[in-house]
Amino acid sequence: MVIATTKGLSRAHEIYADRGQRVRELRKAGKKIIGYICLYPPVEIISALGMVPFRVFGDMSEPITAADQVSTTVVCPFLRSIIDLGLKGKFNFLDGIVGAHTCDIGMTLVISWRDYVKDAPFTHLIDVPHTDHAPAVDYFEGQINSFKRHLEEFAGEKLTDDKLKKACELHNKQRKLVRELYDLRKSDPPLLTSMENIEVLVALFSLPVDEGNDLLEDVIKEIKGRSIKPPRKKARLLVWGPVFDNTSLYELIESADASVVVDDTCVGTRAFWADVKAPYNLHALAQRYLVDLKCPRTYRDTTHHELERNYDKDLDSRFDYIKRAVTDWHVNGAILQSVKYCDTHGYEVPNLRHYFDTLGIPSIYIEHDYSERSLAPIKTRIEAFLETLG
Amino acid sequence: MSETATPAKTEKKRAINRLKTVYPLRNVVQQDYVNTLQASSEGKPTVWSMLNYWEGDLPLKAMDLNIVYPENYATLLAASGAAEPFLDASDSDGFPTHMCGYGRSTIGYSYRMMKENGGKIPPDAPLGGMAKPALLLGSGIICDARFKWFQALARYFDAPEWCLEMPMMSTFEGTEPDLEEYQVKFLTKEVKDFISFLEKLLKKKMDWAKLEELIDLATKIHETTYRISEARKAIPGPMHSTDFWSSMPPALFFAGDMKISLNLYQDMLAEVQERVKNKESGINYPERYRLIFAELPPWHSLKIFDNLAEKGWNFVFESFGYHNTRPLDLSKISDPCEKLARFSRNFWFNVFPDAKKDGISNPVVETYLKIARGYKADGFFMHPLLSCRAASCSLRTVQHFEQENLNIPSLWVEGDIIDKRVFNPQEVLAKAEAFEQTMDHYRKVRKSKGLDW
Amino acid sequence: MPGIDNQTSHLYFAGIDIGSTMSKAAVVDAEGRMLAYVVGQTGAQHRLRANKLMEDTLHKAGLPLSDIAYIISTGYGRVNVPFADKQVTELTCHAKGVAALFPDVKTAIDIGGQDAKVLKIKNGRLVDFLTNDKCAAGTGRFLEVAAETLGLELNEMGHISLQSDKPVKINSLCTIFAQQEIISRLSAGEALPDILAGVYIAIATRVVKLARQLKVEVPVVFTGGVAKNAGMVKAMQDVLGVPVLIPDEPLITGCLGAAILARDEAFKLVQRGEYQAHRDKKLTEARIDFGEKSR
Repeated sequence: MVIATTKGLSRAHEIYADRGQRVRELRKAGKKIIGYICLYPPVEIISALGMVPFRVFGDMSEPITAADQVSTTVVCPFLRSIIDLGLKGKFNFLDGIVGAHTCDIGMTLVISWRDYVKDAPFTHLIDVPHTDHAPAVDYFEGQINSFKRHLEEFAGEKLTDDKLKKACELHNKQRKLVRELYDLRKSDPPLLTSMENIEVLVALFSLPVDEGNDLLEDVIKEIKGRSIKPPRKKARLLVWGPVFDNTSLYELIESADASVVVDDTCVGTRAFWADVKAPYNLHALAQRYLVDLKCPRTYRDTTHHELERNYDKDLDSRFDYIKRAVTDWHVNGAILQSVKYCDTHGYEVPNLRHYFDTLGIPSIYIEHDYSERSLAPIKTRIEAFLETLG
Repeated sequence: MSETATPAKTEKKRAINRLKTVYPLRNVVQQDYVNTLQASSEGKPTVWSMLNYWEGDLPLKAMDLNIVYPENYATLLAASGAAEPFLDASDSDGFPTHMCGYGRSTIGYSYRMMKENGGKIPPDAPLGGMAKPALLLGSGIICDARFKWFQALARYFDAPEWCLEMPMMSTFEGTEPDLEEYQVKFLTKEVKDFISFLEKLLKKKMDWAKLEELIDLATKIHETTYRISEARKAIPGPMHSTDFWSSMPPALFFAGDMKISLNLYQDMLAEVQERVKNKESGINYPERYRLIFAELPPWHSLKIFDNLAEKGWNFVFESFGYHNTRPLDLSKISDPCEKLARFSRNFWFNVFPDAKKDGISNPVVETYLKIARGYKADGFFMHPLLSCRAASCSLRTVQHFEQENLNIPSLWVEGDIIDKRVFNPQEVLAKAEAFEQTMDHYRKVRKSKGLDW
Repeated sequence: MPGIDNQTSHLYFAGIDIGSTMSKAAVVDAEGRMLAYVVGQTGAQHRLRANKLMEDTLHKAGLPLSDIAYIISTGYGRVNVPFADKQVTELTCHAKGVAALFPDVKTAIDIGGQDAKVLKIKNGRLVDFLTNDKCAAGTGRFLEVAAETLGLELNEMGHISLQSDKPVKINSLCTIFAQQEIISRLSAGEALPDILAGVYIAIATRVVKLARQLKVEVPVVFTGGVAKNAGMVKAMQDVLGVPVLIPDEPLITGCLGAAILARDEAFKLVQRGEYQAHRDKKLTEARIDFGEKSR
């Protein structure tokens, strides 16, 4: 194992700034790197077969110049950024890419990757059912099995129960450590900023799971041992929405005199809140990813077979985990952010804002186009929102 | 779907040569609206359903439910120029403005009905509007918006909701050997569960014999419409796209009485075959170019096709998402739920084996390559939509493959299905002039490569 | 809010609003009464502009800078006011200023040169808001484009439009397409008053649509440069369906609100016993840049 010259938060920062650095080293040493898009591809399978899962993000600072050849313009700019980077060869250190049918454009992206970005010899698209009904979990298990078989072929080895169990335990350990990290933001003031948090998470998505776990242990120890704490701020916020993989929005919010103490995003709690349960088989994976992971792309049928749907009850069954986060992290405001053209999240906004109203939590909705320059006009709105919190 | 012109008393020739058999089929839908309003005023429960590729339609009909299709109603709103107040209402309730035009219309309608009109139909709703739903039937097939916006309707209605399932994937993974069987198993269970839910909701048992009868009728209707599609391959094209869009609902979601629809489609098949025999065209001008339209039409501005027909542009085929494929032989399947599962799945998956053979990973691309070859297309009219990602996102790759594999060029015209303020007909006609030269050029290229059109 | 007492009754407070086109400043006394205000063009150099503006306002009020206990800057250019004690967004300041002039206000609609804002106000405080800063339609810019297209001065357009009883419906969502539409209406022989009335209605429609997302409650106050225009006011009232209140000087609600907030901040410091420390620090530091020209 390469000995890192930096540790803890500095190392996280280093990796955040150049995400491919560690996987490039590992690749040279003979490891295979499998990129994945979104939270639904089961990373345990990749790790269990001795390969390194690497989460693929876009780049908010890179202007989109190549994507129009293969994609229309009025689609999710995050995904457009990914295909743009792919076409420009920025992911040429990946040996493969796996995506899931988590949304229409996400599915089309993987298909386009297969057709146009010829770097990675391995591509796979996992279908994910829309609901969390019991037959859907079984179907999803079949899809995970299909992915497993395909990856086994590519790896040249079979997945054993034991290998899978070990991988599940390692990834569960990472999730537990991340939850410990988040616990450190329950205090007033939180012991780390949301910018530090996201740098750590992005680093985790760029490292093999065991190295990520070591990093987390160092980071947690470092933070607990800090003598200088971040300043106390009146506003304690929750940020909701689809992938936000960058410190920029969090910096913007925190510079306006607020702390972001918890979130419901996919570079955030959605990735780490639920564990894979024993007996750590494919069915357990299907259960964790389809049912236990909470994302608006899944039609969570909390009123299954009910003959009437009470609006507030429906919202509470779907979003009660947000209520718990609000209580446990002492949240007093919410920022809902989404990218333009995201249907999955866009349709949730009015209902979710209503839910926050019922919790007595003021909220604001911000839409951006996943580019750094689109954030500046948002600053005033965020500041004004914080001013209304009093 | 709008009338393009009044009966010929005018001096100028009508550009599009409408089939006579379109009118009664169009009336089926309009009559259906009237009937559903009547039925709902008599206390019959109304279902708002999404297009579900027959997976849900047939159980609903077998249970004798009153069905309304908001997506279809939205096209009527657009075609009659009445959509704006509904779009505005959706915006005013905080829904992002880039959302699907059908969704915005429906959300706006629901808002105006429940929050502004005390549960009554808004007075400016055309064709008498849509009755308040007692059940919401969503579906994830084709796009996310469709099940998300239905979920969002909980804001206005206490009606229970069901979400139908349908797998969607790439052709490579979609042709794995064991896939079909475990997909069918999954869908069959879902259909069974849906039906048991309906039984609970309506406090009556499913009439399985009736369901079988309807599946049989559905198969016959689709066999007929499939043959109509095949007949449209003739040169000149005997049926213009606008005729198709006007007459498709009874096959797309089995509006009205299916026995009547079957007869009307059989009449249409006869009329189209007659035209083929007489080499009669779908336009009243010489056919200079054969166009394929992808994907969803500009319901608010269908007149543009008259203008293009005057230039000899015959739209010979269109909108793969609205067409059924050749129906399967389900006679050996005993479980009606399994029949439905296979019937519905076939729409999406039928093209996969050929796509795999051709090395095409996007099923939409393979479908349009087959269409281009079958209908001997000179050009594609690509209409990407501001608010519909699902129907627009593959158009670039379709364009690319049509050009690469078949040397067929595409005209790229942006717009929206509902919001007419973002479509510019003048721009289309200007571009059309130039595009004719492009089509002429590629005709020569195709000939030089040995293709026969 | 602490009462005015012998510690505070002699104090003055200032607010300065650096907008994208216009800059404004105001001075208020301990009772929140406005003593003076100045409005000017922003131009390119915010910092210089801010200094000059403050100087002019102080001159009009007859006060030296050292008498100003607290200064708040707001607006697009608020970061470029180094002598300000605090920066607050124009959204909060507008709400405060409007509520100072119309204590019962529930909704405030502001149409600026480049943007439009809708503010929801409860008990004199901003509680919710929406802005349109992406699109020129529904802002003062739309009027400028229309004026240019028609060869008219902005201030003429209002009166001419009032002659219309049959406004033309402008369909285009986009300022650029609307320009084409205006031209084609003119050549089709539509009357100028009707076209102008249609332009005002198009702007009002865009802004009211935004407002409806927050549920419009009366009384409604209308501010911004275009609120001085009779044609615009009529259109707003027609589209909203309720009358609107307009301040005598619709441009200064932002800086007035900032000045009143400055007063509130200073009073808080007094209450916490921190005011003297604030004075000592601020007078020596941030204001050196300003220079003591006002003496």
